[in-house]
Amino acid sequence: MSRRTEFEFLGRVTIGQYLPTGSTLHRLDPRTKLLVCLLLIAVVVASQSLLGIMLLLGAVLVGLALAHIPLSFALSGLRTMLPYLLLLALLQTFAIPQYAANATVLWRWAMLTITDRSILAGILLIARFSVMVLGLSLFSFSTTTTELTHGIEHLLRPWQKLGLPAHELALTVNIALRFVPIIAEEAERLMKAQASRGADFGRGRNFIQRTRKLLPLLVPLFLVSLRRADNLIEAMEARCYLGGKGRTHLIHLQAHVADYIALAAACALMALVIGLSTANADQLLWRLLSTYL
Amino acid sequence: MIRAEEPLIRVEGLHYTYQAGTPKPIPALRGIDLTIQAGEYVAVIGANGSGKSTLLRHFNALLLPTAGNVWVTKWNTRDTVHLRDIRSTVAMVFQVPDDQIVASVVEEDVAFGPENLGVPEDELHQRVDWALAAVGLTELRYRASRLLSSGQKQRLAIAAALAMQPRCLVLDEATAMLDPAGQIQVREILHQLHQEGMTIISATHNMAEAVQAQRVVVLSEGRIAIQGDPRFVFAQEETLHALQLDVPYPTRMARMLATVIRDFPTDVLTVTELAEAISMHLGQPLEPRPKPTTGVR
Amino acid sequence: MNTPAIPLIDIRGLTHRYLPGTPLETKSLCGIDLQVHAGETVGIVGPTGSGKSTLLQHMNGLLQPQQGDVRVNGLSLADPSVDMRLIRQRIGLVFQNPEDQLFERYAGDDVAYGPRNLGLPADQVRERVRLAMEMVGLPFAYKDRLIAELSHGQKRRLALAGVLALEPQVLLLDEPTAGLDPQGRRELLQVLRQWRAKAGRAMVLASHNMEDIAELATRVYVLVAGCIVFHGSPRELFAHHEMLVQHSLAVPAATEVMHALRQYGYPVSTDVLSMEEAVNEIKGLLHVQTN
Repeated sequence: MSRRTEFEFLGRVTIGQYLPTGSTLHRLDPRTKLLVCLLLIAVVVASQSLLGIMLLLGAVLVGLALAHIPLSFALSGLRTMLPYLLLLALLQTFAIPQYAANATVLWRWAMLTITDRSILAGILLIARFSVMVLGLSLFSFSTTTTELTHGIEHLLRPWQKLGLPAHELALTVNIALRFVPIIAEEAERLMKAQASRGADFGRGRNFIQRTRKLLPLLVPLFLVSLRRADNLIEAMEARCYLGGKGRTHLIHLQAHVADYIALAAACALMALVIGLSTANADQLLWRLLSTYL
Repeated sequence: MIRAEEPLIRVEGLHYTYQAGTPKPIPALRGIDLTIQAGEYVAVIGANGSGKSTLLRHFNALLLPTAGNVWVTKWNTRDTVHLRDIRSTVAMVFQVPDDQIVASVVEEDVAFGPENLGVPEDELHQRVDWALAAVGLTELRYRASRLLSSGQKQRLAIAAALAMQPRCLVLDEATAMLDPAGQIQVREILHQLHQEGMTIISATHNMAEAVQAQRVVVLSEGRIAIQGDPRFVFAQEETLHALQLDVPYPTRMARMLATVIRDFPTDVLTVTELAEAISMHLGQPLEPRPKPTTGVR
Repeated sequence: MNTPAIPLIDIRGLTHRYLPGTPLETKSLCGIDLQVHAGETVGIVGPTGSGKSTLLQHMNGLLQPQQGDVRVNGLSLADPSVDMRLIRQRIGLVFQNPEDQLFERYAGDDVAYGPRNLGLPADQVRERVRLAMEMVGLPFAYKDRLIAELSHGQKRRLALAGVLALEPQVLLLDEPTAGLDPQGRRELLQVLRQWRAKAGRAMVLASHNMEDIAELATRVYVLVAGCIVFHGSPRELFAHHEMLVQHSLAVPAATEVMHALRQYGYPVSTDVLSMEEAVNEIKGLLHVQTN
């Protein structure tokens, strides 16, 4: 039984963690993974078909298995978000007059209505979020921050000639990601220092109370972060950083067959999901099932 | 000994004031004149607030003088056109290991400097190889930089500076946040680099480091109080105490012994020299001690 | 004759894992046994990353072990009915970096933070702040100074004052003299000696500065990669020269000088802790030889 105090919160956040399992997924070119990720997010938001989204969920779970990520670990990140998801889903179910049009009303009380459409909307919301959270987690489990920034920079490089600051953007992302755990550690240290002098962070009957107790940390944390940023800027200037123009590069990314296959498979899947959405596959399936039941 | 060639760094009448022109100016340097020749190893010591860090940042144009001039070879540091030349000639390593790492992978961090200089790509690989070897980090080249120990991170910072192929390495209390093992590693690398011709300027609190320099510059309240070779500077115990500084441990021991043993030498700087002094006192000399040279005031 | 008393801090079989239950789990402390009795100054020595800070944070309940037990005055910290705030008043932890623990704007407010959290009335808070500041050698008038304008040494003293204002029974210190110039260090050690002189108090000092350990510690534990590899008096520790070298730990300068002399063939004892003792050894050597 692992006892954890309120100060060890790094263990509860799964997005952003890298797990080196050495799978084939890990070895794919980061550009492939970036493109697939972006495609996934775009499609999951656009798709109106629950069937399609379930297909995507299945694909992400397959991806997690291919990457040798323990399922319980991946789902634990989702678990912490669950209360908020349910709350949002509930709001979807109750509010939204747009679902009132040509929908069967199942329950009504004063201003609140539940229709079959709104229930579907609530379920879709949960499903969409789950796909996104698990998909992003899968991406971060299998891609180092270095690979991520190289991927971003390489993808944006063709546009550098048109004035897009590709290197600056990639560097910003890299440094921001690298400093997330460092700042988290600082926050942890500040919390512990305050707790050592009697501040109480753990107890607090609800989320709001606990959050309010974090306020005295904000100013010192901000100041510490600024100081570190200053130090880093000095170090970069001392190494002649003057922007992305004129820089050469040590690392060049190399796409392989596996990348093209992965990209092709992903495109095919996304096309299928969009197809299901446009063809109103849900309604067809529903009608099919209702004739048999 | 006067050298005919031009000095690597020349400082004339340097004044620097923080927040100059505001209601609360803070003068940090009050008139510094200093010359650093190529190949020298200079230690800068002084109490906290004496101006060490401020002075060092003038050597690579991170700070520009409020009054006075600083030249790096033939370039004045106010010359913005040659900023890259200046900063690739004088490279700097800072105190906080975490706050000078740019890239997430060791070899990429080393490459950051030369990449900025536009070094062609085949040469990039060579420079990275060479810099990593110089600090002994070759086996860790693919490691995530944040997973290194603090001593290793400082060695990485040195490698990153070396990759620009500078003529001078400036270190601002680079060992202050390291444990003793880390401090020894860095000290040895600096010694090795100096043997190979690198000019080294190191601000330090660590007397064992200061002792391996050729020249020690003592700062106090923004001015140079004493400078000279270590033997000369550390002989001025009362002055140093007044400046809140200490002399090296073996020197203190030798002084203590000299109070009870007649003719015991007090200009001892290292443990080895102390042992040699003792053996000479017993009439069994092991090795001739280096002759002390006169200091420059 | 010492009557066995309940240790102020009693640690048995402490094992701590970082990120437990996740694929990134690593062991940071393995089965630690450690006691701190009243009147003692326990030193914890080890390279950076050995777990010294983690161990200190278990002593005032900031961290909980996966296995093993930590007891303060006989009370187990794992017991959910134990009031952690009371424990943290009794066991005061001073962190390594003053910047990590000073968060008010004015110096006096920061020292008052602890007593205010204890719910003391304003006049008592003021008195505690005054006493604490005096103890660390900061004039009470500094209470209205901006913390940002203090020097590093003054910030260190202020951080210590903030903990002393809680009137703890045990003081836990993490690298207390790091970054101080020689005079600042001497003054801080003097403050600590004066504090621990009062009966019933104890101190735990985590440091890789061997001079501090030699001057203050009555007992020392050596921590390497989360495990205790040695336990004894400072004298015993510094006699184990090879072990110290093996784990890349420093040796106090006095002892190092003696070892160097032995390597030159001189029959000096390496059992020295201070410069005075080393100088006496050398004097003895020289008198014997010149006779």
